[in-house]
Amino acid sequence: MSLASVASGPGLPEYVTRRPGGFYRSTNPSTKLAVAALEVVAAFVVPGWPGPLLVLGAVLATALAARRLRGLAVVALAASPIVGSILLINLFLLPGASDPIARLGPFAPTWSGLWFGLQTAARLFAFSAAIALVYLTTAVDDLLADLARRGLGRRVIFVIGAAVQTVPRTIERAGEIVDAQRARGMDTEGQFWQRARGVVPLAAPVVFGALTEVEERTMALEARAFSAPGRQTLLRIPADGALDRVLRWGAVLALVALVGLRISGRLA
Amino acid sequence: MAIELSGVRYRYAGASKAALRSIDLRLEPGCVLGVVGANESGKTTLCLVAGGFAPGVVGGRLEGSARIDGVETTSIPTHALAQHCGLLFQNAATQLSNTTATVFEEVGFGPCNLGLAVPDVIERVWWALKAVGIEDLAPRDPARLSGGQGQLVALASVLALRPPYLILDEPTSELDPAGTALVGDALVRVAAETGAGIVLVEHKTEVLARIADEVIVLAEGSVAIAGPAAAVLRDPILAELGVEPPARVALERDVRAAGLDWPAALAEALA
Amino acid sequence: MGPLKRWVARQFTTRVIVLMPVAIAINIVLGATVQEALKLPIYLDSIGTILVGVLAGPLAGALTGILSNLIWGYLLPAPIGASTAGPFAITAGVIGLLAGVWGQLGLFRPRRSGAISVVGAVVAVVLVGALAVYTYARAYASPEAFNNNVSGNSAITIDQSKVFFLVVMLVYVVLVAWAIFLRRNVGAVYAIGAGLVTGIVAAIVSAPIAAVVYGGVTGSGTDALVAAFRAGGDGLYQATLKQGLLSDPMDKMITSFVVFFIIGSLSRRFIARFPNGERALGDEAEAGAPAASES
Repeated sequence: MSLASVASGPGLPEYVTRRPGGFYRSTNPSTKLAVAALEVVAAFVVPGWPGPLLVLGAVLATALAARRLRGLAVVALAASPIVGSILLINLFLLPGASDPIARLGPFAPTWSGLWFGLQTAARLFAFSAAIALVYLTTAVDDLLADLARRGLGRRVIFVIGAAVQTVPRTIERAGEIVDAQRARGMDTEGQFWQRARGVVPLAAPVVFGALTEVEERTMALEARAFSAPGRQTLLRIPADGALDRVLRWGAVLALVALVGLRISGRLA
Repeated sequence: MAIELSGVRYRYAGASKAALRSIDLRLEPGCVLGVVGANESGKTTLCLVAGGFAPGVVGGRLEGSARIDGVETTSIPTHALAQHCGLLFQNAATQLSNTTATVFEEVGFGPCNLGLAVPDVIERVWWALKAVGIEDLAPRDPARLSGGQGQLVALASVLALRPPYLILDEPTSELDPAGTALVGDALVRVAAETGAGIVLVEHKTEVLARIADEVIVLAEGSVAIAGPAAAVLRDPILAELGVEPPARVALERDVRAAGLDWPAALAEALA
Repeated sequence: MGPLKRWVARQFTTRVIVLMPVAIAINIVLGATVQEALKLPIYLDSIGTILVGVLAGPLAGALTGILSNLIWGYLLPAPIGASTAGPFAITAGVIGLLAGVWGQLGLFRPRRSGAISVVGAVVAVVLVGALAVYTYARAYASPEAFNNNVSGNSAITIDQSKVFFLVVMLVYVVLVAWAIFLRRNVGAVYAIGAGLVTGIVAAIVSAPIAAVVYGGVTGSGTDALVAAFRAGGDGLYQATLKQGLLSDPMDKMITSFVVFFIIGSLSRRFIARFPNGERALGDEAEAGAPAASES
């Protein structure tokens, strides 16, 4: 098997080793996870307003510096139905509340209900925003590469990576099927019963189409030694500088401290 | 040093009939063996059995002996099968791992799974890309390639494991003529440059006419005819078994059937 | 390798590893679109989880469920991502675990209507019905809980809850009757019964999660139910539990039925290759169509 010497130099090509840049985007993915975990815990564990507000402030500031504010706005929008429900339910139905704002027939919104509702809403926003910040500033590939480097097995990595890729593809395929069915006269608006009947001819091809690929994909993986024992070689390794490590460990310690303080009742 | 099947009989798990009955076959390195046959004649099963994937990956019952370089396929661990024999299937899209961002990493998927050191991985990747002729595709996103290009990437990623034998199950069946030509050329290259023993299952007998040394015809799970490519591909039994002969064979047949001459010079020019 | 390790490894063959992302995608896509389209208190976001559980085993099913919710909640951006899905990964894990147990017990196998299987089916219906009655009796325990008004709002009475319970049982009976009489497949009884039990367990596991993390509010139509129960004087946990007991059994029954149907429609060859596949295959005579020979 004689071929001329390899085409490229001895190292990995630049397009493999290139790392993302930008504030917070270049931070190590595990560090971002640790920070998000701290923020989520802080939002729930610190009672009253300081918890959610501080977390929201931190997240917004980071998002602004990383130029991902618009992404957060989308998340806020997506969370608005829940927030609306929380506000309404607590406004009118907080048990034990006895300071009504007004009396509108049988309905009596209360001040404490409003207060509690706003707080719960803020908490939920803080929670969602902290998590959203991670995926707004991290590519799934980089996150998985970092987890792989820390020892997460290749099978779990594969399942998560493939799932994240398969979801948009399945949606596309579902969209194509809807169009095809519509062209054949399926009714997608209209009465509930008609819509219910439309679910099966839509869902069935999506499900069965996805399942028939399983056999071929299994063979393809085996043909590439996927079930080999031992650790796989990693070509793509995200950066992990001193600052990343300090931040990560700091976040973990702060998280533990907060939980400890809460359990021991020191947080008023 | 060969892939040898003797008296092979195979039945899938959960099936009532045997898919292969009494197959004898020998493939040596450097040789290209073409396989043709009607649908459901056992071609894909033959690929799986010869490569050790049946019963290794798909279960089922194997009788007789299937050996790669003297070792029974049933005693080769699944992950090592790929290093003895590379398998390529029809659909390019389902052969991508979907976990890599560039063709370079996709081709390196196999070597990385084996845990080879990074310099070894890099060397194998470039070797495989060169053998198939797609070095310029290295930085591309594997999900955004044409069907033909995807098959070439799949071929390279299988080659990166350096198997001495390659089995390809209708690699061009889902490709347009451009893609088919691309893959056909690449196969010629690979055959010449790697010296691997190749089994090529194809409906498109043109491709076989171009690169196969020998051809076997499968019918209902057994070998109907075997012999040198040129001879088998002009055998009239092909049409009876539902296989399209290469265009020039069909042309010659029609010309002779019309009572005209088929001049030797013409035959030579077309060969 | 010890027996435990072997049991674990057996459930995670390459084929299962390939199936899981597909199952996760099915969970997420169907979960997101069906709710959108039908606007009923059913989620249909566990089809993939139960399928993997039945075909591969409890651990694989549990992991599928857990990862589905984690990915849906934390790795996918809106509009597909659902930020509320994350904490319910625990419930999803339990659903997958149970599905593995049912699969192991062969509850998703197709069975012809023979005398013995009909008797077995009747017994199953009785057992499941008894469990459902018990659960509903405990949850909607005392008349006082309903007549306890805090702010003078109307409450859901015990009679209305009985109606809800009857609706659930009615759905069960209808699905089973359809399967038996139109499809001649008694196996559906066991599968749907397993779904009902799974639904009850899921509701019990989800209630504290919904209560603690979201104050019982998840932004779907079911919040109105929770509100109504709370207006009736229930604590947060009780309200979310009752809401769950109305939605989850129905949802899991339908899901299990769908999974049963899917398994019955896939080729025997495909099913047989999964770790627990053999337990999901009836004899060829029971399944109806003979297996096709393959190329």
